[in-house]
Amino acid sequence: MLDTIATVASNTEIAPGYKLLTLNFNQAIHARAGQFAMLKAHDAFEPLLRRALAIYQVGGATQLSFLYQVMGRGTQALALLKPGGRVDALIPLGNGWAEFFDNQSAEKNPSSLAPIERAIVVAGGIGSASVLMWCEELRQKNIATQIFFGAASARVAQGCGLADFRALNMPLTLTTDDGSLGERGFVTAPLERFLRDGGNQQAAIYTCGPWVMMKRVAEIAEPFKLPCFASLEAPMGCGFGVCVGCVVAMKDADPKSYGAYKRVCTDGSIFPAERIQWEVAAMTH
Amino acid sequence: MAIQPHDTKVEVEVAGIKFNNPVLGASGTFGYGLEFAELIDLNRLGGFCTKGLSAQPLPGNIPARIVETHGGMLNAIGLQNIGARAFVDEKLPLLRRYDTRIIANVFGYSDEDYLEAIQMLNDGAGIAAYELNISCPNVKEGGIVIGSSPVAAARLTAKAKAIAARPLIVKLSPNVTDVKVLATAIVEAGADALSLINTLVGMSIDVNTRRPRLNYGTGGLSGPAIKPVAVRMVHEVASCVNVPLLGIGGIASTIDALEFIIAGASLVQIGTANYYDPTVTMKVIDGLSQYCASKNTSVKELVKSLVKD
Repeated sequence: MLDTIATVASNTEIAPGYKLLTLNFNQAIHARAGQFAMLKAHDAFEPLLRRALAIYQVGGATQLSFLYQVMGRGTQALALLKPGGRVDALIPLGNGWAEFFDNQSAEKNPSSLAPIERAIVVAGGIGSASVLMWCEELRQKNIATQIFFGAASARVAQGCGLADFRALNMPLTLTTDDGSLGERGFVTAPLERFLRDGGNQQAAIYTCGPWVMMKRVAEIAEPFKLPCFASLEAPMGCGFGVCVGCVVAMKDADPKSYGAYKRVCTDGSIFPAERIQWEVAAMTH
Repeated sequence: MAIQPHDTKVEVEVAGIKFNNPVLGASGTFGYGLEFAELIDLNRLGGFCTKGLSAQPLPGNIPARIVETHGGMLNAIGLQNIGARAFVDEKLPLLRRYDTRIIANVFGYSDEDYLEAIQMLNDGAGIAAYELNISCPNVKEGGIVIGSSPVAAARLTAKAKAIAARPLIVKLSPNVTDVKVLATAIVEAGADALSLINTLVGMSIDVNTRRPRLNYGTGGLSGPAIKPVAVRMVHEVASCVNVPLLGIGGIASTIDALEFIIAGASLVQIGTANYYDPTVTMKVIDGLSQYCASKNTSVKELVKSLVKD
């Protein structure tokens, strides 16, 4: 974990409301797929708190990119950054996807007894930012991977990096809520069909997207007894474990005991889906 | 990490405890201190106050727990903590490696809870002082209920002082009509020092759902937005009690820290700023040294030095 000031290389619009921020660092950042950073414009007094953004792409040892949706005050401030601008960055943060592939300890991955031979990646909306690097890594590992990519519309799909995912040349099923591109409806529908049609052999599911989508993915995975891992988002005060603001409720803990809530920032951001008490939302938008 | 020589101009002594400088991490924003070991040199830090420790570990509140506001944030964490016993057994041995003053913040739902936690902490070597949290607005019992009543606060202070093996600091709530009445009662009951202020009770509403943004309903407002209120309260309390004060509330820079010191604080605690500027404590320590050098003065001389014409 490093607290540093990065320099903006570029901050370009991918689609209306979606931007790609590329930062240069003055030293090498050893970032793993699924990790994130806390970012804030260095010269901005408002908003106060840094924003948690997933590491989207690595452009060399000292360059990283972040794909983000311009939503509230924090991302609006980031959207104003210009090349040469300075960014306060705490990086890298969170556990990363590989923890749930390489070291499958019973504690971290209780349901996965068999080695993972196939992977299913389910990305919803801007949750795509957390999984692009993981898809690349799965390909390098020669793991047969099926990508499910859901977005609200064709514009949103473009903004969420569809072109980068297509460039991976991996099997990809696309859905949009309005049917403007790919299959009409939610991404969970083709996922369920795929599993029913036999796509579930020795597969692990990796998902990042809206809370309700990940909740549904976990429900779909459960009867197939597939290990399912979800990268969560929550409003964060600090990103390094001290504010205890970004917690998620755990299913396997007594709600009245310490441990009932885990920090998304340092205990996650990726958790086995079966441990998450999905009814208690950490982030609901 | 090499230990740098301490600047004597910023040294402070409070309740018989020597602090290398007056800059502390505030309770609830500094974890158990160890979380910052990767980010700052803990040996340079004046000290820190732990997350509120209770006799039994606490799960904390149902999320959402934080929401950002203009110039600050609301929190309703609900004192999620590992418990006083686990702190003594698991965190203190690691913390003792550092040359910094550790203040254990103590919380309970009743007088008995507070006393039980203090008894547990009395066993822990390396704790410099206790900070009694009678001002947390995010739990329904204890905390602010005790801290809003001069009688209840004085009663608990006297009981705690009787068993505490270390100096007792009592942390005041700003959510009272007259903080001077509370401060006077607590000092008369035996407090060695007072820290102020805890967070101001606030609320934020999501207009789409028409529900509070925080699951708890209300939360504690912190950050730069509350600083003027805190400076005013430190000034008021400094005028009516004769124990050292620890100033807290929106400190994010050297100038902020100096305002509190001039108003009457011997030590300052930095809270919310640690979230968005994790090395802020180091910057303020350096800034105080530079200020003292340039004005040819010391922190000791600056405490309660407000010029009144």
